[in-house]
Amino acid sequence: MLEERTILLEISDLTARVAGKEILNGVNLTVNAGEVHAIMGPNGSGKSTLAQVLAGREDYEVTRGSVTFEGHDLLAMRAEERARAGLFLGFQYPVEIPGVNNVYLLKAALNAKRKAAGEPEVDAYDFLALIRQKMKFMQMSETFLTRGVNEGFSGGEKKRNEVLQMLVLEPKLAILDETDSGLDIDALKVVSKGVNSLRDPKRAVVLVTHYQRLLDYVIPDQVHVLSGGRIVKSGDKSLAQELERRGYDWVMGAEVA
Amino acid sequence: MSAALRSFETQWRARTPDALQPIREQAMQRFLKLGLPSLRDETWRYTDLRSLAASSYGEAGCAVKAPDAGAETGAGAGAGAIRGHAALSLVDPGQHAATITMRNGCPLLGADLPVINDIEINSIKELYKQDPSYLRRFFESASDADQRRWVLLNTALFIDGLYLKITGTVATPLVVRHLSQGGGAQAAHPRIIIDASPGASATIIEHHVSEGDSAPLSNSNTHIALGKGAQLEHYRVYATGAGATHLDSLDIHQSQDSQCRQFTIALGGGLVRSSLEARLNQPGASLESYSLLVGHEERHVDCVNIVTHAAPNTRSRQTARAIASDVSRVIFNSKVIVNAGANGSDSKQSCRGLLLSPSAEIDTRPQLEIHADEVKCAHGATTGRLDPDMLFYLLSRGLDRETAQSLLVFAFLADVLTGMSVSSARAAIENALISQLPDSQILRNFR
Repeated sequence: MLEERTILLEISDLTARVAGKEILNGVNLTVNAGEVHAIMGPNGSGKSTLAQVLAGREDYEVTRGSVTFEGHDLLAMRAEERARAGLFLGFQYPVEIPGVNNVYLLKAALNAKRKAAGEPEVDAYDFLALIRQKMKFMQMSETFLTRGVNEGFSGGEKKRNEVLQMLVLEPKLAILDETDSGLDIDALKVVSKGVNSLRDPKRAVVLVTHYQRLLDYVIPDQVHVLSGGRIVKSGDKSLAQELERRGYDWVMGAEVA
Repeated sequence: MSAALRSFETQWRARTPDALQPIREQAMQRFLKLGLPSLRDETWRYTDLRSLAASSYGEAGCAVKAPDAGAETGAGAGAGAIRGHAALSLVDPGQHAATITMRNGCPLLGADLPVINDIEINSIKELYKQDPSYLRRFFESASDADQRRWVLLNTALFIDGLYLKITGTVATPLVVRHLSQGGGAQAAHPRIIIDASPGASATIIEHHVSEGDSAPLSNSNTHIALGKGAQLEHYRVYATGAGATHLDSLDIHQSQDSQCRQFTIALGGGLVRSSLEARLNQPGASLESYSLLVGHEERHVDCVNIVTHAAPNTRSRQTARAIASDVSRVIFNSKVIVNAGANGSDSKQSCRGLLLSPSAEIDTRPQLEIHADEVKCAHGATTGRLDPDMLFYLLSRGLDRETAQSLLVFAFLADVLTGMSVSSARAAIENALISQLPDSQILRNFR
């Protein structure tokens, strides 16, 4: 059965460096709406760099290639424009920002997106109701409402907060950078539930992960292995299981061969 | 001898001796012998007083115009009522609060003086006349320390001062409004003594404002003495005009289990020198000092804190946030001294600076001098621009750059602002602060 797929993200021959060092060496990837992709790979393979480059971090210099998001030149957009257009990065290490309230940030973020879409600002009462509902879903404590952004949060709380932000902002494309790392099994289930709730024929999710564990809960359509700044192998979910069994040396060896 | 020194000596010779004459004499002789502090003096190395030294100063008198008494805010709140430059509404119109005005250092103690239970309000001069021995302890013997140089001159030349005796629990904040009026060729020497009896508690806000484009040189001193278990929240808010020069010193002496929370807020003035010297004299004494130093346009703010742990089990916290834009310069030097035998002393110094312009400068220098073995002393100082990780995080959530930057600036100052328990003062200070920061319209939304 053939199904018409809309291309959401198209990365072609992407090369990027930071501080003069090449990290990405010609990445090619196409993500269609409705799909979940997992990008796996050993430490230092360029997974986080790819995520940061896509989100618009200026420390990385793109030296070659192109990225389109819904047909638009993503690399020509500033980080804030990408966010408003519906791209979301879940950080591997979410920064603590004491003095900036969690709820304030969420509201400002949501309103920035609505403004860009020509929609009115969210009603304060409705907004709080929405936050409370999503917090309950993510099993987060009420104290979150009064605290600074990620301030004093445990590793697990920070990751839940990233997913909460994602659920509130409802991005078209969510890139989650090792959102599963450092989570105990209960937290992993909650985070997975959050990610799964966003699955939708119009959206896509890119999971950047080191381990296969998360993929037991969020079943990917495609799995890619990033090594040496390039995607060296792609497959379906069974690739993740095979990687778990045989280790990354297996793919890296295959690359050489 | 510099022109300034000569003019101060002329004033000294011209004045009629009063009951404080022996104390004044000693201070003036010391001052004339030591001269004005210069860049060679340790605590003055960042502040060049040469142009000040080259000027002559006459006495800024008390009777500039009819008293402008009344509540701090009241009808026609703010600048209109006070006629001061950028005067802040530190207490709400409806709030129960009392205000005393000191014009060029002279307390205006007329019939409309507020009556507050458990605070006695007196003129230092009158009280000294009645009983010289009573106030003598608040005038220490002359010191050669360079940070105390201007205090010597204040002691010699202050016309009158305010003595506030706190005898019980006072819920009402008391505002002392320092109004600088006159020309830049004059000098005033405001003096205040705050004396809290054992177990007493109060909130006192000193608010420095000036009228017109130029103002007399202000050389103010406040002496705080806290009895056993006394509690004081003290503010000094500098909100004078851009042409004003203000040299302010604060002495805090704390007895057993007393608690002092002190806020130094620099939001005005052209040249501001602010010093704090605290002595934790008995076990259990605790000081929390918060400094919010805002460099704006060409302002120069030089803040010196010296905290001495003179007894075991004393505690001090210093939190300073400096922010500098345009071509301003902000200096924060803090020193903690732990005397021999003051075991169990616990101190923390946190100084952070934020540069908002490539031409602005911030210098912070936390220092420790420890003569005891069992102490806990921590200090940290950082100065830089906005954190790029924080900025990227906010941008990646869709906030525009100006909003993200402003939000981080405001967050940077939160450690000082959130410590204030007088909410009206905090709100007024936030408002004034915002108006001196870039993208102030955006910042107003965060409040």
